[in-house]
Amino acid sequence: MFSYNFRYELKLLLRSKWIQLLSIILLLLFGFSIYNGKGKVTKRKTDIVAAKDEVKENDEMMLKLLDSVEKGMQVSASRWTIPTSPMVVGNYHPRVVAMEPQSMAFIATGQADLFTHYVKPKVTGDDFALNFTEMTSPVQLLFGSFDLAFVIVYLLPLLIIAFSYNVLSSEKESGSIRLLASQPIRIQNWVLQKLSLRFFWLSVLVILSLLVTFLIFNIEWFSMFQSFSMLIGLILTYMLFWFALAFLVNLWVGSSAKNAISLLGLWVLFVLLVPSMLNQLSTTLYPMPSRTLMINEMRGLKAEVAKKQDKILDNFLRDHPEYAINDTTQTRGFYHRYMASQRLVKEELKPVLTAYENQLKKQQAWVERLKWVSPAITIQESLNKMAGTSTGDYEHFRKQVVTFSESWRSFLIPFLYNNQNFTPADYPKLPQFTFQPKPKTKQAMVPVLLLIITTLLFGIGFITSKKAKEKSMLTTS
Amino acid sequence: MIRKTFIKESKELFRDGRVRIAMIIVVLLMGVSIWISARQYQNTNDQYEAAKTAERTIWDNQGKKNPHSAAHYGTYAFKPKYPLSLVDQGVDKYAGTSIFLEAHKRNEAQFSAAADQTGLARFGDLTPDFMLLFMIPLLIILLGYNSFTKENEMGTLTLLKSQGISSWKWILGKWTALFLPILILITALFIVAGLILSNLKDFGVFDWNSLLWMYLIYSSYYIIFINLVLFISAKTKKSGISLVISLSLWILSCLAIPKVASNIAEDTYPYPTRQEFVANVLKDKKQGLDGHNPWSKEAKLLKEAVLAEHGVDSLHQLPFNFDAYRMQKGEEHEAEIYFKHYNHLKDQFAKQSNVYKGLAAFSPYLPTRFMSMAIAHTDYATHWNFADAAENYSIATQKFLNDDFAKNSTYGNWGYRADANFWKRLPAFEYSPPKLGTVLSGNITNLGVLGCWLIGSFLLLLFIKKI
Repeated sequence: MFSYNFRYELKLLLRSKWIQLLSIILLLLFGFSIYNGKGKVTKRKTDIVAAKDEVKENDEMMLKLLDSVEKGMQVSASRWTIPTSPMVVGNYHPRVVAMEPQSMAFIATGQADLFTHYVKPKVTGDDFALNFTEMTSPVQLLFGSFDLAFVIVYLLPLLIIAFSYNVLSSEKESGSIRLLASQPIRIQNWVLQKLSLRFFWLSVLVILSLLVTFLIFNIEWFSMFQSFSMLIGLILTYMLFWFALAFLVNLWVGSSAKNAISLLGLWVLFVLLVPSMLNQLSTTLYPMPSRTLMINEMRGLKAEVAKKQDKILDNFLRDHPEYAINDTTQTRGFYHRYMASQRLVKEELKPVLTAYENQLKKQQAWVERLKWVSPAITIQESLNKMAGTSTGDYEHFRKQVVTFSESWRSFLIPFLYNNQNFTPADYPKLPQFTFQPKPKTKQAMVPVLLLIITTLLFGIGFITSKKAKEKSMLTTS
Repeated sequence: MIRKTFIKESKELFRDGRVRIAMIIVVLLMGVSIWISARQYQNTNDQYEAAKTAERTIWDNQGKKNPHSAAHYGTYAFKPKYPLSLVDQGVDKYAGTSIFLEAHKRNEAQFSAAADQTGLARFGDLTPDFMLLFMIPLLIILLGYNSFTKENEMGTLTLLKSQGISSWKWILGKWTALFLPILILITALFIVAGLILSNLKDFGVFDWNSLLWMYLIYSSYYIIFINLVLFISAKTKKSGISLVISLSLWILSCLAIPKVASNIAEDTYPYPTRQEFVANVLKDKKQGLDGHNPWSKEAKLLKEAVLAEHGVDSLHQLPFNFDAYRMQKGEEHEAEIYFKHYNHLKDQFAKQSNVYKGLAAFSPYLPTRFMSMAIAHTDYATHWNFADAAENYSIATQKFLNDDFAKNSTYGNWGYRADANFWKRLPAFEYSPPKLGTVLSGNITNLGVLGCWLIGSFLLLLFIKKI
């Protein structure tokens, strides 16, 4: 019976042009989305390279200037741009701290359009003044990007629904269900077989069209085979989940139109409503402290600090007697006072800033737990993580930036307080930044758990429809 | 006959359990979303008021200080929230809420809410605009997908034909039956929203006219969907297929095309990255007058010009502090540079907007979305307007400070301190968003496209020939 079903189904799908149509649709969707993703990744890379090149150029100028100064020549630059001063190096010659895209970055835009991928932390200014958001039109952010993740999470379920909503009902509506009932196979078995075959063909089409688009866009999927198979695993289990829903709806609900409505209702629920409700809940449960009020706090603190700069400097020097010993001139200028008080502001503001981080972490943890309510969220999160564009990834980057700017500062501050000039010999010692991607958490659990949920759904379908369902199906038709 | 068709269709819809459940769900969700938004709105407004007064107090109590130090210390401009943002949150979540105003620089608005949320935020929020723009069209599809197909499927078409009803009466009856529940629903919603808004404390610039316009925009949006759904239902044979086609249309116009548009717009008219932008501005600044640098070529030229103008041969003989004068000139020059670079951004934004307007031919969602945001003052254009107002205020503030510095001190006197009461004389930053008329005339293309959709979809109905 299975082989018969198999052959019949294939013929049916080919003759009704389903397979042809689906291949074209999938190729178009994958093609366009991967084209977009690739474009974004390329732009990100070129931006970073351009920024690094600019720094290289500036560095050459700086070294030339330093050289001239060392040789005692007259330089044409204005007094406060000569890089013998450590603060000039720290402010006018910052390093590029960049977040390089990961190999799978093209599959999901995630938060990539919201956050910037490179910053140049200076020695002055506070870390929190570093603006990590990118200069994007907010309209862009509102509409989002047509990326592979969108195709998978939003559109693929709809294709599945269109492909499977009337598997049983169409037989009923065309009257062929009586013929089927005379066959030595139970209805739910038959529906299951039919849906499995459709799942099989759709999977084949999805994998093939993905491979074709990867080939077209020159993506070496083989060299990242592990990630690629993970991606396929995620897609297939997500598809299976929707097929399981289709199975249940086919067995439980009646006519084609009613089936379609029920499935679409589920789609709206899982893809649109649950995520927006969870988001709303997470922000209500763990509300972010107001940023405008934070500004007030910071301003008040700064005003206070500015009034007693001299005292702060004295305290700072008392805490760091080494500066008093090493420096014979004991000149104290604007920057000495500024850096000391900035340090104080930073320490005082730390609890305010960590409040934001903690709240975001709480939200994140909460979402992490509840993401299982909707497979759409689960898959979107997994794809973002795989692409290295999830909120967590950017937070990881931010932390590295803060650490780097700290080391940038602590490299230059001794020069300042020792009133020591920055020389060409010090240049190679300048701290360098290398980006460490966030260690990948085990993603394999996601498809496995989804698979378990799906099997449960199938099981429920079997058990509940075992009794007396067939009879009712025949009589009502 | 129109009335009879209408009554029959309405009864049928009312008796359908699915329709009732869907209606109840939509009304419930709508209520929840309005409640959440109203709370958020009040919250944000309270914070805004608190922040504004606190910032002003800090500014007023600076004590004795050099005006230019105060300029560097700067002040903040906070973006207020407007009553109709209760209905449409627009891009507010993605645009910053506060702008730092300081000497020599124009800063962008900082701290968007989206940056402080998890990735889930990108799925969207449960807000009234989500319900209005996404869910009610879905409800229309649910109500109307089988409007014509069911006559075929139940065999009532033959009966109808024997009645001698004319085609247009029949269609009009069905159309009204579909439109009326939607009309009642949104009329009730808008009245509730209006009542909530006019009862909020210090509701600022809320006026019923804007709400009425918004109501009209959404009504046309729903009429377009009703027409399309009816057309599809008339042209297909089976209810299932009609439903699937209507839904594809919904997905295309509400989800896919906006995303496609955003990708095309960004590809063709990209923004510079933040660092690029900063670097470009810096490059231009280096070439011009720097208020802090008396040794540059431009500074020397300025000095000679000023000396010649006043007929004196030393800066000390000038009746004002030349340092401060140069600072002001530098400020003006820098403002020009920023003006140029931000104008480039605005230009890119205008071109991007044209892409959206072009693609609106394929999606009634796009013009509706833009119109609704514009009327609610939550669109990008209003954000620009606010940023420009803040910049103008900033320039005026710099002039105010530099003028005082120039008038009350002499050349080389950097030790000058302004009086502690001086700061209070700076007028406060007040911003009022563009008026409804300006907004409407600024969005005339979007209105036009929406009008075309409206007329075009009615024309489609003429092609229905069932009887």
